[in-house]
Amino acid sequence: MTGFLVQQLVNALTIGAIYALIALGYTMVYGVLRLINFAHSEMFMVGGHVGFFLLAAAASLTGGPASVLVVFAIFVATFIAVGLLGVGIEATAYRPLRGASRLAPMLSALGVAIILQNVVMLFVSRRPLPFPAFMLSMSFDVFGAVVTLNQIFIVLFAIALMVGLGWFVNATTLGIKIRAVSENMRTAQLLGINVNTPISLIFFIGPGLGALAGILYAGYYGIVVFSMGFIVGLKAFIAAILGGIGSIPGAMLGGFALGILETFGGGLLPRLTHGAIGSEYRDIFAFSVLVLVLIFRPAGFFGESVTEEGMVYKRDF
Amino acid sequence: MTLRLEALTKRFGALLAIDRLSLTFKPGMITSVIGPNGAGKSTLINMCAGSYKVSSGRILLDDVELQELKKHQIAQRGVARTYQNIRLFDGMSVIQNLEVCLFPELFGKTFAEVFVPGLSHRMKEERLARCQAALDQFGLLPYADEFAADLSYGNQKLLEIARATMLRPNVLMLDEPAAGLNHGEKHRLKQKLRELLRPDLTMIVVEHDMSLVMTLSDHIIVLHQGKLLFEGTPAEVQNNIAVQEAYLGSPGELDEIREAARARANRVRIRADAGIERRRPGTN
Amino acid sequence: MRRQAGTRTGRLRAVAIVALVVAGLTYLVPGLPTYYVRVIDMVLIYVLLAAGLNMVVGYAGLLDLGFVAFYAIGAYSYAILASGQFDIHLPFALVLFIGGGLAGIAGVLLGIPVLRLRGDYLAIVTLGFGEIVRLLMNNLTWMTNGPQGVSRIDEPFLFGAGLNTPQDFFRLLLPLVLVALTLAWRLERSILGLGWAAIREDQDAARGIGINTTIAKLLAFGLSATLGGFAGVIFAGLQRFVDPVSFSFWESLTIVLIIVIGGLGNLVGIVVGAAVLIVVPELLREYSEYRMLLYGCALVVIILLRPRGLIDRRYNPAWLIRKLGWR
Repeated sequence: MTGFLVQQLVNALTIGAIYALIALGYTMVYGVLRLINFAHSEMFMVGGHVGFFLLAAAASLTGGPASVLVVFAIFVATFIAVGLLGVGIEATAYRPLRGASRLAPMLSALGVAIILQNVVMLFVSRRPLPFPAFMLSMSFDVFGAVVTLNQIFIVLFAIALMVGLGWFVNATTLGIKIRAVSENMRTAQLLGINVNTPISLIFFIGPGLGALAGILYAGYYGIVVFSMGFIVGLKAFIAAILGGIGSIPGAMLGGFALGILETFGGGLLPRLTHGAIGSEYRDIFAFSVLVLVLIFRPAGFFGESVTEEGMVYKRDF
Repeated sequence: MTLRLEALTKRFGALLAIDRLSLTFKPGMITSVIGPNGAGKSTLINMCAGSYKVSSGRILLDDVELQELKKHQIAQRGVARTYQNIRLFDGMSVIQNLEVCLFPELFGKTFAEVFVPGLSHRMKEERLARCQAALDQFGLLPYADEFAADLSYGNQKLLEIARATMLRPNVLMLDEPAAGLNHGEKHRLKQKLRELLRPDLTMIVVEHDMSLVMTLSDHIIVLHQGKLLFEGTPAEVQNNIAVQEAYLGSPGELDEIREAARARANRVRIRADAGIERRRPGTN
Repeated sequence: MRRQAGTRTGRLRAVAIVALVVAGLTYLVPGLPTYYVRVIDMVLIYVLLAAGLNMVVGYAGLLDLGFVAFYAIGAYSYAILASGQFDIHLPFALVLFIGGGLAGIAGVLLGIPVLRLRGDYLAIVTLGFGEIVRLLMNNLTWMTNGPQGVSRIDEPFLFGAGLNTPQDFFRLLLPLVLVALTLAWRLERSILGLGWAAIREDQDAARGIGINTTIAKLLAFGLSATLGGFAGVIFAGLQRFVDPVSFSFWESLTIVLIIVIGGLGNLVGIVVGAAVLIVVPELLREYSEYRMLLYGCALVVIILLRPRGLIDRRYNPAWLIRKLGWR
């Protein structure tokens, strides 16, 4: 039994780390623009594909599996590439709508998501592509569970990135500007902060992190496909809500929490009900978490109040 | 109807905005609430209207407790208000802004209105007639079909008041109705408010414009730091020392302010031809 | 005052024109090839759906991204209650009310906890709800047959006549849609419709004038869900087969798009939007792969150019009515 639990825990933390990385992108954008960036899930997917092509290119150049240095370089390149894509999307599809209603940017984001997904489907590949493993396949026996190096790497790497982001946001000038703009954009503008810079930066970092999550996910499951963004992205969004959307620590915590809830919930249900409820219910579980959180504690762990009271906003359209 | 506040308190976290305030607002007179910024005037209106939850105390409208009621329930009991920052229904037309006030009254008839042929038109006409009459009272009839957002600022303020009075409220609370109005508009506002006063209407006006307050009010309540400082007729308020100090500072404080200003002026002298010159303190 | 009571002749003329158009359509359309009639039927069903969602999105200003759930509830109601699935065979008209009723109740039940949430959160919760319903339909195989769907659904019988061709359904749908649109229009102009508009503009100020916003919003949810349920029942009767694939998030999105293109809250625009969104993909059948891509591009372009919808607010039913002569 211990082995089973530890195994579930390791699996949960691994997928949780990936959710957390993606959730960061959602939460940062929402914190500043009050926009639910539906296109973010596609950053994850595009990142996976970019990593795929870079790894394939590296492999064809060197003739063998990539070295640590090359893998690192690919990570950086993917981060930058998708980060730039995010900045571009913000500038063309979101910025013009900044003054408009709350609904308009969301619909625009939906449109961008559809475009990205379909562009990849039509012009890259309709079918899943096999993603090469860039990690040594080593595994360890921990209390009867099998823990792979890959899993350890994912969790540690994600934590490192999140700690780095936390430092950046708290200790650097740019980071502080980002926080200022999140708190109150109007005041930040009055203080002379050019809000476009922090916002563009958010749309660089968020998608960048999502892209890295895409590579990690692809390396873990071994495939990339144009549709991988939708469900994972939605779950990462649920994680962001769980943690309190707008809060960076919340996104991290929410990611791991959702990983645990989903894995244990989905893993235990078949055992508890002796197979009556299967693990296809994992997805329903995640959505139910969403609905329940929003009904009973919409602010999540660390978030702001999201009900109507005290809000002096006017139109939604 | 009489509006009574008993030991009303409002806290925002650590900030005590209203401190065990007890007041009575009588019908048939215009009562103004004045005080320096932060005295709690808008908070008062927001609590009476149900926008803010009361921390402790009671709000009574002729023996009916209001503090636990929801906003729309309070409104349905005849408590109407206007807002400091105008909150009209911008995307709706001027006449629709009034028409929608008939909702609590006519909501029950919606089913009939939608399903019974012929009824829709007639009911609409009746509603519009009532609204047109109200608009006419305020001189806004020519603008009936324009978007509320397109009106001039002065007219928007009037429309807000028209909306508040649409259903003959028992209590009318106006939050800085004269803000941003020019002299002529303020004069017309004063006349309008006097016209609206009825023996059974309790009118409460929060204002900063002292000349307006002094000439308009029958009774003035002065708040300071969430507590009642003084209340009385305009003449009494004007002569009250405590009020003067609250607004302008105590005599000692006033001297300090004057001295500091003089010292600062000595340090920096701007000459039209030479830009800013810095002089050492103490020199001429 | 400009607005006066309509003159008798003006009103008669408007009604006559509409009647003529309806009669013309009823006579001409069934003569078209069956394929075209089927497309027109789907357009009409989507007009129904959009008119329903419009109450929530266009009138009350609440973004519901899971509307397909009510469509699904209606469709599966008919699939379960009038087929070989459990060997229950209730009449079409009865299931119409049951399906609509169930959907309406679901709408109200969904509304109660979520309506106090802010706009974007409401959108996400409703999206989640829509997905949950679809996943349930997919997984509760004992009831819904899961991914295989329910087939061999009964032929609907109405007033003794069987509806088994698209032409039959057209003759049912056209008057139904007209009635629905008329009722929606009257609702929009009614005091409830105005209350919804006030809630959309400034919910807090709406409460300040005595509107019970909770009841008003619940009504919007309930009524729109009911209409969605109706559309679902009809859809099931038309297709004689339902499966979870027809009730995905993209359906919700399509209906939202119809409303967005049509100009939020604008009934005339909805008819135009439904026509465009259903007919154009059919025309571009060869390029069906690219359909979603076009959707996405269209969505972004339209939102960027006209954030409040393609069809101008001015060209709404009131304008149309005046054009027809109803003075």
